[in-house]
Amino acid sequence: MRRQLRWYGASPLHLLALLACFGLAGYAAARLVSSRPLAVAAWFIGAAVGHDLLLMPLYALADRSAMAAIRHRDPQLPVTPWINYVRVPAALSGLLLLVWFPLILRLPSPYHASTTLSADPYVWHWLAVTGALFLLSAVAFALRLRSRPRAVRPPHRRAIKPPERPAAPPPEHPASPPPERPAAPPTPNPAGGGYEYQPDSPGHRRGLEGGPS
Amino acid sequence: MNDNERPAVTRRSSAPPPLEGRGKPRHRGKPPGPFVPSFWRSPIRGPWLTSVLGLILLAGVSVVFVTGLLSYAAYNPGLSRINDQTHGKGLLGFYLFSWPTHPVWLYRLNQGLHVTLGLVLIPVLLAKLWSVLPKLFEWPPLRSPAHALERLSLLLLVGGAGFEFATGILNIQQWYKFPGSFYTLHLYGAWVFVAGLVVHTVLKSRTVIRALRSRGLVRELRTDTAHTEPEPPGSSDLVSPAPAAPTISRRGALAFAGAGSLLLLATSAGQSLGGPLRRTALLAPHGQDLADGPNGFQINQTAAEVGIRAEQTGASWRLTLGQAGPGGPAPVRLSRAGLLAMEQHTAYLPIACVEGWSTDNQAWTGVRLRDLARLAGISDPASVLVDSLEAGGAFRHAVLSAGQIMDPDSLLALRVNGADLSLDHGYPARVIVPANPGVHNTKWVATLTFARRA
Repeated sequence: MRRQLRWYGASPLHLLALLACFGLAGYAAARLVSSRPLAVAAWFIGAAVGHDLLLMPLYALADRSAMAAIRHRDPQLPVTPWINYVRVPAALSGLLLLVWFPLILRLPSPYHASTTLSADPYVWHWLAVTGALFLLSAVAFALRLRSRPRAVRPPHRRAIKPPERPAAPPPEHPASPPPERPAAPPTPNPAGGGYEYQPDSPGHRRGLEGGPS
Repeated sequence: MNDNERPAVTRRSSAPPPLEGRGKPRHRGKPPGPFVPSFWRSPIRGPWLTSVLGLILLAGVSVVFVTGLLSYAAYNPGLSRINDQTHGKGLLGFYLFSWPTHPVWLYRLNQGLHVTLGLVLIPVLLAKLWSVLPKLFEWPPLRSPAHALERLSLLLLVGGAGFEFATGILNIQQWYKFPGSFYTLHLYGAWVFVAGLVVHTVLKSRTVIRALRSRGLVRELRTDTAHTEPEPPGSSDLVSPAPAAPTISRRGALAFAGAGSLLLLATSAGQSLGGPLRRTALLAPHGQDLADGPNGFQINQTAAEVGIRAEQTGASWRLTLGQAGPGGPAPVRLSRAGLLAMEQHTAYLPIACVEGWSTDNQAWTGVRLRDLARLAGISDPASVLVDSLEAGGAFRHAVLSAGQIMDPDSLLALRVNGADLSLDHGYPARVIVPANPGVHNTKWVATLTFARRA
C-alpha cells in the first residue's frame, strides 16, 4: 500500500477527490460535446490556454515595450512612478475591448434586427471611455508630481538625477529598510535606472505608489 | 496586467551574460524561457496574492453558478420538453422546482446578478490567471500520477472558466459563434467548470489558509510599492527565485483588478437597472434608450426578424382557446375586440431577459390567463401551451405552469402603458407572467391550449 501511495504521489483522499471530480465532469462533458465534439473540445482547450499563451504574451510585451521605450528616451527617468499611470488606463481600455469587441467591431449581425438598436455607438463609447481613463490618469499623475518635494523633482527634466543614497535607512521606516531590494535581482540592472532611483527619499517613495489613483 | 516579467536571460547588461554564465548548469535538461523559474520576475506573485484573488473569485463564482442554476429552473424545463433547451440533462436537473411568480422581480434580479456579476469577475479571473502563470510552464510537466491527475483537473477548471465566460460574453452580445446551442454549452460547461472548481478548492484549502496567515490583509493593504517585499523564496513555486524590483504593490494589484471590475460594473449595470440609469451602460448591449412613448422599452426580437406578416396580425387575427388531448369541447375563437370586451386587468411587471438586461415595470393591460382557461372549459388547469404566430425558432412556443396561469397578474396583454401593444412588443396579444423569463412571455400569441389535471 505504502509503495503504491509513493508511486501515486499523494494521499488516497487526493485520488478520491479527483475521481469524483472527473466523474461529474465526464457526465457533464458527455452532454457538452453531444453535437460538435471537436469544435467544443477546441473551444474548451483554447479557453484554457487563451490567457496564458495569447493574452499574456501580448500584454507583457506591451508592458515591457512601454517601459523600455521611455527608458531608452531618458535613462534617468524613473520607471516606477509613471508606468502605472500608463498601465492602468491602457489595461482597463483593453479589458473593455476584450469583453465588448463584438459590439465595438459591429460583428453581431442579428443585433440591429432583434433589438432595433444600432451597434454604431459602441466604438465611440469605447474610445470615449478610453480617452477619459487616460485623461484621469494624466490628471492624477500631474497631481502626484506637484505634490512631490522640489528637491526630488527639480523643474528641469535633464537635471533629474538619482538622489544620493543616505548612508542609513530613513528614520521613519526603521522596521523595513528598503535598499536591499533593488539589488535583489541576480543581474545588475543598468537599464532600470528607475530602480536605482527608487528607495531612499521619502518624497520619492510617495511618487512610487502604484495602482490607480 | 501589472506584469513586470523580465526574462533574466534577455537583459542587456554590462555584467557577464547570465544565460551562459549561470542559467545553463542549473537547469540542465530543462527547456529555456518560461520553463525556467527565474524567467518569472514579478515580486508580488506568490501564494498570498493568488489566495486572495482565488477567494474573491470563489465567492463570486458561487453566486454566478447558483443564479445560473436558478435561471435554468426559471424555464420550468421539467414541465414540458418544449421548455427544455437541454433534453439530456439527466441527473443534472436534480434540483429543478416549479418556478414561482413572486416576487415579480425575481427573474430580473437573478439574471441581472448572474450577468453583471459575471462581467465584474472578469478582471479578477484575469488577475488570478496572471498570478499562477508559472504553473502552466512547470518542469517536469508531470511529476507523478497524482500530479498528472491534478493538472488534468486544472484543465477542467481553467478551460471551464474560460469557456463559461466566453460563451456568456458572446451570447449577451448576440454573436453566436460558439459551437452549438448556448443553453447546452453554457449549462454543461458550467458543471465541468464546477467539478474542477470544487476539487481545486478542496485540494488548495490548506495552502490558502497557510498563505493568508503568512501575511496580514490589513498590513498588506497598508504597504506601498517601495515597501513591497517578495514572499520568501522557495516557499512556493509561484514565488520568483529572482524577483525584480516592484513596480506595483500587492495593494496596487488588487486595486488594479478592482478598478477593472468597477469599470465593467459602471458601464453595464445600467442595462439591468433601467430607467435613467440605462444610458450609463455605455458598452452593454441594452444600454441605449428607445424612442419615447408607451411602447418605448427594450425589445429583443422584432416581428420582422421572426417573419410575422402584416396580414397575420390584422383584423382577421383570432385567438384560439383549446384543450389538450382528444375529446374536449370545440375550440373557442376570439377576436381582439372580443378579448377587449372581456374583464380587463392591469399588472405592473418588468421584462427581464436571460441576457441580463431588463426594463422597469410596465403597466400591462389585458385578460387574465385564468379567465381564458375557464373560457376554454378548464377552471383548474395543469399547464398551458402557448403558440405564437412565429414560423420557427426555439421560443415560438412555451408551456406555463399551473401556478403561472393562476397568478392574478398573469395576463394575455393587449395594451401596455395605456396604448395598444406595438407590433414589436407582440401585437395583437402577448403573454406576460410575473417573474417569467422574457422568452417565455410569448409575443404574437395565436393559440392557448390548456391541459387538464390528470
